[in-house]
Parts: sequence; C-alpha cells; structure tokens
Amino acid sequence: MTLRKRFGRAVPYVLLIITVLPVIVGYFWLILSSFSISTEGLRSTGFTLSNWSFLRGSPFGRGYPSIWKVTLNTFVVAIGMTIAVIVVSSLAGYALSRLNFPGRKSFLSLTLILHAFPSVTLLIGIYFVLRTLKLYNTVLGVGLVMIGFELPFGIWLMKGFFDNVSWDMERAAMIDGASRLRVWGEIILPTIKPGIAALAIFAFISGWNAWLIPKTFTIGAGQQATLSVYLENFRGDTVAVQWGAVTAVGLFQLIPVAIFFIFTQDLLLSIYAGGAKGGT
Amino acid sequence: MKVKLENLSKRWGKVVGADHINLDINDGEFVAFLGPSGCGKTTTLLMVAGIYKPTEGNIWFDNQVVNYMTPKDRNIGMVFQSYALYPHMNVFQNISYPLKLKKVPKNDMRERAQRVADMMGIGHLMDRRPAQLSGGQQQRVALGRALVKEPQLLLFDEPLSNLDARLRLSMRGEIKRLVIELGITAIYVTHDQVEAMTMADRIAVMKEGKLQAYDPPDELYDQPRTLFVAGFVGNPPMNFLEVEVSRKNGDYHAHREKFDAIVPTEQGEKTAGKGNVIMGIRPEDITISDEGVGGEIYVVEPLGRDDLVTVQIGEAIVHVLADPVLGLKMGQNVTLDFSTHKVQFFDPQTEKSLLWAE
Amino acid sequence: MSLASRLKRGGAPPLFPTHSKGGMPSIGDRLRSRFGSYGFLAPAAVLVTLFFFIPVVIILVLSFSDLDAANFGTLQWWLPENWSLDNYAKIFNNKFFPKILGNTAFYVVSTLTLFNFSSALIIALLTTHVERRTGFFFRVLWLLPRLTPSVIYIMMWQRIAARAPHGILNQLLVPLGIGTGGNLLQASPWPFVILVNGMIGASFGMVIFTSAIEAIPRDYMMASKVDGASTLQTIRYVILPAIKWPILFVITYQTLSLLTSFEQIMLLTDGGPGLYHTEVWALTAYHRALSNYFGNNQWGYGAAWAVILVIIGVIAASIYMRVFKFDELVEEPKIDLL
Ligand SMILES: Nc1ncnc2c1ncn2[C@@H]1O[C@H](COP(=O)(O)OP(=O)(O)O)[C@@H](O)[C@H]1O
Ligand SMILES: [Mg+2]
Repeated sequence: MTLRKRFGRAVPYVLLIITVLPVIVGYFWLILSSFSISTEGLRSTGFTLSNWSFLRGSPFGRGYPSIWKVTLNTFVVAIGMTIAVIVVSSLAGYALSRLNFPGRKSFLSLTLILHAFPSVTLLIGIYFVLRTLKLYNTVLGVGLVMIGFELPFGIWLMKGFFDNVSWDMERAAMIDGASRLRVWGEIILPTIKPGIAALAIFAFISGWNAWLIPKTFTIGAGQQATLSVYLENFRGDTVAVQWGAVTAVGLFQLIPVAIFFIFTQDLLLSIYAGGAKGGT
Repeated sequence: MKVKLENLSKRWGKVVGADHINLDINDGEFVAFLGPSGCGKTTTLLMVAGIYKPTEGNIWFDNQVVNYMTPKDRNIGMVFQSYALYPHMNVFQNISYPLKLKKVPKNDMRERAQRVADMMGIGHLMDRRPAQLSGGQQQRVALGRALVKEPQLLLFDEPLSNLDARLRLSMRGEIKRLVIELGITAIYVTHDQVEAMTMADRIAVMKEGKLQAYDPPDELYDQPRTLFVAGFVGNPPMNFLEVEVSRKNGDYHAHREKFDAIVPTEQGEKTAGKGNVIMGIRPEDITISDEGVGGEIYVVEPLGRDDLVTVQIGEAIVHVLADPVLGLKMGQNVTLDFSTHKVQFFDPQTEKSLLWAE
Repeated sequence: MSLASRLKRGGAPPLFPTHSKGGMPSIGDRLRSRFGSYGFLAPAAVLVTLFFFIPVVIILVLSFSDLDAANFGTLQWWLPENWSLDNYAKIFNNKFFPKILGNTAFYVVSTLTLFNFSSALIIALLTTHVERRTGFFFRVLWLLPRLTPSVIYIMMWQRIAARAPHGILNQLLVPLGIGTGGNLLQASPWPFVILVNGMIGASFGMVIFTSAIEAIPRDYMMASKVDGASTLQTIRYVILPAIKWPILFVITYQTLSLLTSFEQIMLLTDGGPGLYHTEVWALTAYHRALSNYFGNNQWGYGAAWAVILVIIGVIAASIYMRVFKFDELVEEPKIDLL
C-alpha cells in the first residue's frame, strides 16, 4: 500500500475523531473534576472523594434541599412523564392509525404541525395556564407541560408502529370477541414493545434532563427543584463555584442516561431515525 | 346456520370491493369463493364477519339481518392467510383467548382448549409461542382458535397459501374432513381453483367484485356460465377460438381461417347463425387423431402424466393434452379432433354462455 | 314474520328485522361508535388544548395588552378595550431591535450552514464510508450532546472556554502564546454559541442523512465505482441527488428549530456578555416575559416577541406539511366498526 493510499484511508477516521473531540474532552474533564480538589485544564491538582459527600448530606450547605429529595422529584417527573406519554400517545396514535372517525385527517395534520411547532415560544402562555390551574411551582404542573411537549413526537412515533401491525391480527381479535379497547391493550400494545421501549427511553431521558421547563415553572432551587435546576443554581459565576461538587452532582445525574445510552444505543439510534423522519 | 347475501356491495369512494352479490348458503354447506386476487373475496368475507360494514345490501344469518351486529355477537370463527396468531401469547393462550373474552370459567376453558388442541394434533405444544412453531402448526393453532368457541359459521381466507405444496395437500384434506365432521357451515376463500374444486359443495366465482357463477364444482367445470368462469376454472386453461357456426349438409360446423370442426347438434342448434362466437374447448377434450384440423406443433412440455402440446393453427394457438407415448415433437404436423360434446360457446359481447345461460 | 314471507317482499331491505340488535345499530352502539374513537384521543386532545391551543390564544391576546408585574391583578388584559398594537410598535422602535434581528439571522444561518447541515452531511458521509461498526460508534458519540442534560453540557463548554489556569483551551493556547489566557467566552462568545448548538443540532441531520444514504441501492454505488468515479464524484453524482429531499427537509426543519431555540444560549451566555451581544429573538421573548433579569415581567411585551415567532412557526410548519406530504402517510382504516 502506498503512503498516499494509506493516508487516504486514515483521513475519515482522523476527521471523525477531531469532530467529536470536544465531547470527549468535556466528559473527561467532568469525571476528572468530580474526583479532584480542583482542575487546571485537564490536569488534576489532587485526588479526593470529598466531592461525592453530597450523597450523605446537602452538598451546598443547609437551606437547600438534600440531593435525595431533588433526585426523587426528578425521578417522579421523569417516570410519571414516561408513563403518561406512553399511555396518551399510544391511545392517540392508535386512534390515528387504526380508527375511522370524522376529523381523523385533520387531527393527524395537527399532530404534524405541532411536531414542527416552536413549542418553547408558548411558555409565556403556559405560564398563565398553570397559574389559572393553580399548578404553578408544582411538580405536577411541570410534569404536565413536559408531557404535552413530548406528545407530538410520541403520537407520531406510536402511529408509525401501529401502522405496521397486521390488520388480520386485529380482525382476529375482534372476531374472538374483544372490544377495540381490549384489542389495543391486550393484542396490539404487546406487539409493539420495541416502540414503547424506545418512546419510554426518550421520554425518560427528556424528563430527567429537563431544565428550561422546570426552571420556568418552579421557583429556584426550592423543594420542587429537579436535578438540572438544582445544579444550575450552583453553576453561576456570582458565587465561588465548587466545581468538584458540581461536577460530581452532574455525573450523578448522568448515571441513568449513561445506562440507557450504553445498553440501548442501537435502539436509540434507529428509533431516533424513525421518529426524526417525521421530524423532532 | 343458513347464510344469505342479498345485493351485498362494498365501495370505498370509487374503489369497488364487492358489487351486488346475491347468494344463499345452506346449513352445513361448504362454499368456496373463488377468483383472481383483488376480485373482492376477502371484502365479502369480512362483511360476513362483521369487520366491514356493507355499503349496500343485507347479510342474513338464518332469518336475521346481521348488518350491524358486531363480530363478537355473530358467533363465527375465522382463519386468516397470515394465521394472525397473537405473537406474545403461547398456544394455549391463543386458543383460549375467545373463551377468556366470553368469561368461561378457568377449568372449563382449560379443558375445552385442550380438547380442541388435541383434535388439531397440537395438544403437546401448548406452551410454545407462535414463533417457535412451523407453518403447519401455526395453521392448526389458528384453526383451533377459530373452532374453540364452537362457532356456527367458519370463515377461511386463503388459509393454505402460505404453506408448501405438500403440506397444503394434506391440510386441504384435513380441513375438508373436519368441516364435514363438525357439520359447520363454512365459507372458504381461495384463488386456487384446485382447492375450491376439491373442497367445496358449491363454488362462487367472482370477478371484479361481481358474482360470476355459483354452482357445484362439476357443473362449474362442465357447464361454465361465463367466459370468465370457463377460462378461470381448469388447468391448463380452456382454449378459446373465435369461430362462426353454420349448418352444412345436416352437420353443424365451426369454422375460421384454416379451421373447420364438426359441432354436436345440441350445441350447433344454439349457436348457428349467430355470427362470430367464442368456442371453448379444454385441452384434455381435444384428441390427436388421423383426421380433423391440421396444425403445426409449436412446443411440447412434458407434465409427467401428459404432454402439454401447443399447436399453431393459422393465427390461432391451441393447447392439447396428449399421451406421452405418441412421442410428439416440435415442428411436427398433427391433426386435431375437436368434435366433443363438451365444447362450449360464448357470446363475445356479453361473454355469457350460449348453452347454459338462464 | 317468516323468512319466506319476507323474501316475497322482493329483496327490499326489511323495515323491522326480527332482532333489532343485528338489523339496526342500537342507540348505545351508535353512540359508542360515534364517540368511542374520540375517547382514545381525549387525553391527548386535552393536553394539546391546554398547552398548545390555549397558550397560543393567550400570548396573542397578551401581546395586545401591556400586562406586566406592576399592573398584574388590576389590568383586565383580556378585555378588548385594553388592547393596542403598542407592543409591536415598541419592538420595531427598540434601539436594540436591529442588533437582535442581526444576531438571530447570524446565529441561525451560521449554525445551520456549519453544523446542522454541513457537519451533519459530512459525518453521515464519513460514517457510512468507514467500516460499519466504527461508523455506528461515531454516530452514537454524536448523539451524546443531545442526550446530555443541557446544564451539564454547557458546564463542560464553560470549562473548555474558562480563563487560565482552569480553562482547557487556554491550557493549550497560553503556552503557544496565543491569547491572553482570559475567559474565551467573554472575548469571543459567538464561536462558542454556534459550536455548542451545532454539536447538538448536527445529530438530527446526521441520523436522517445516514438512513437516506444507507437506503441508496448498493448497485448504484458499485456501478459508479466500476465506472471509475472517485469518492468525491460518487458523492456529487450519486449520493447527493439521491438524498435531495432529506437535505431539503433537514434545512427547512432545522431553520425553524434554530430560530426558536434559546435554552443553550440562555445557559451559556444568557445573551451576554454585555448588552445583547448574543441575544437572539426567542431569548428576548423569554427574558422580557419570564425572567426578572430586566426588572419587570413584561408579559404583554414579551408575548408580542413570541407571537411573531409563533406566526413564522405556524406558516413554516404548514408549508412543510404541504411540501413533504406527510399527511399522505395516512392509510384508510381496514376495520369499519369501533
Ligand atoms: N380497506 C380497503 N380500502 C380500500 N380498498 C380496499 C380495501 N380492501 C380492499 N380494497 C380493494 O377492494 C378490491 C378487492 O379486494 P379484496 O377483497 O382484498 O380482494 P381478494 O381478497 O379477492 O384478493 C381490491 O381492489 C382492493 O384494492
Ligand atoms: Mg384476499
């Protein structure tokens, strides 16, 4: 092999590595910093485990809720949102894919428009909706808004999965004596488990990571805070940032995402492709 | 249970699925719907099942109109081409699902499911998932599921077309035997005329949504009422030649370019003087003999028991089934005897039989 | 009535069939089939109404009023007599309006061209060019920024840009004598704003382009290779024409997406440093209405900023639907009853 050819072969790899470098560097620093007294560039000034002491008490002193309370909030929002998104999107997706009713086409078009719709621009309006419903500064309110924002993607994704289920199977179930609701729950849903798994992962990650919506609709780092909001409070440049502790909390928040990421990358990528084609 | 379809139509906008179908099915009768793909067999069957609502017309079960009855209340069993088994349930759960929905007590359910499974020869596979079964076994599960609730009407939608040829043959026999033994009224949809001919008491031939003929198999074969039926039933298919029939010296003759054959009096009387008509004759009814119409062999295809011989007569092509011992060769000149009483005649405009039309 | 006597009526549909259950739908059945379908849709419809429709109406009405924290509770903003177009006039007369408009255009165009489109396409081409597993690995890595909580993701970037001795880039640059070792985000925020958003945005196009490229029949690629085309020629004459619809889709879709996104900018620079240095349209709407940064919650004024984006969004979204014919993906249901 000539040098030129070998060089040609290496070019794509070199390019790929260079382009993802910031992400790799970022993650490397995050891990390094969480175990260091402090860092200078990518150099640690000394190893310590004290950054992780937040697991036992509040990392940023009294007056702030403990990490477990915040984790619980985040978890409740993420899990509640996941379940609700799955139920609501798969009901609506089923109707759009399989049922015949006046207005079906319009509702589908609407889902698609919402799909491409700049939902964050509506936050001002939603603020008033939540205040009216007395859901401002509550975990429930934050959860509902996030469910709503996730629906266009969820409905579209679910509809795509339902479209691929055999009509004969559904007909067979109806002849066997099942109602449409039973067909949905007992026959169709179990056959689209991969779709549900995918939507669950996406919904969970987006609920777990969420910052803008909890930040907008809860007050600061109070008892209703979720991990992202909580973390963001200690990141600002007004107070002397305890980078070690902040990065440790960050890593802590990354754990579930990392687990999903490592074990379901194939699914994530392919489903993301499937869902994204409808736009996300 | 008797079934009656009355002026039954199904349309989706401009697409016509079934077009004014009228037919009666007697209690315990085995009826086949036969026709090429897309002719509306499944559509009609699904209306009987209650999955599709008729656009027009009525469906009667005994003396009750069931147009608006849900499939659940119709007490029918259905077997699909794709089997339509529930992939996440094992064989037992699949078979007992209709019973579970009827809220049959657990023990009763178990016993009935087991009995049906044993009858289908899959009693030992109760714990398997459909994906772990062969095509034939899946088919049996589907049959079991259709039978378990002891339906009054069995519907089959091309149940054998996904099986290999050998299995198809044995399942064909089994289904026929089962249906006769149980004495259940059955509708069997197929595009395979051999299946229809071998299994059914009566065959409804369909084309483009319309019922073409509804007769017992032998009548369908020997007395086809339309050109379409004649061409569709029988393999290799019937030969069609455009001829003119006239009477010469007391005999009736069918003639066209380079072709002159004697027609039996019975058929001749009904066709003479009607101008151009279409003569239909099955390959097995043409014999190779010393006299008759001359032609040249275009190709010979051995089928085992017979040779399928293609003969060119002027512009026309005729298929003939010949005995292999004759040792016919391509390019050889032969004479063909067309004088059979099984010859058919059709009106080229209406495509109806000139012999059997009501 | 016997079957025989009924048949004598000459095939006309029977008026009173023996069992009404089969002959005519019962009222209950009719209700069920009429509204049952909507039962499946109801939860989604409620949420969509609450968090899409009503908010759209609210911001539209708000944008005509001058509701803010000072007159909240006293101003009846929903009454037409309190409406005017003042907020819109105020937007266009704002001293910083040209700056914000310019920022938005610059941000959208450069992020889109450099990352959401170009990088996405290049990564898709590279990762489909190299060995399968490797390509997959790099695509998954590219998905990381999107899956990382934005707060943490921005933290990483802030650290990359931080001043010496903490900053990662400065660790490299200072020894080389480049720059002063100050905070790079303060010195030149735009490259970071674009990079931060672009690295998230690129994965959208990457995924779509990849599946489009993988869908190109192998024969085409082979034929082009056999014809002696270079890699670049194959890309130019085989791949690009084959994926022109996905390209159009990504460009249009991501334009809207960038136009309305502000979460990362808000976390990274919050529109700074200084006055409006990296403030974009969507962020302005948020700042005005929902953050106390500027003193008051000017809900009416902020809503007016948002309404303009919403209008752009609705128009763009409906155009996509026409152009990409997504609504034709509906198949007619193959079961008639509920
Ligand atoms: N749900 C439906 N919507 C629209 N057209 C249909 C539907 N089902 C069947 N058709 C059309 O009706 C005709 C008959 O179809 P079908 O009954 O499935 O034929 P077969 O079972 O004889 O092959 C075909 O032209 C088919 O395209
Ligand atoms: Mg069919």
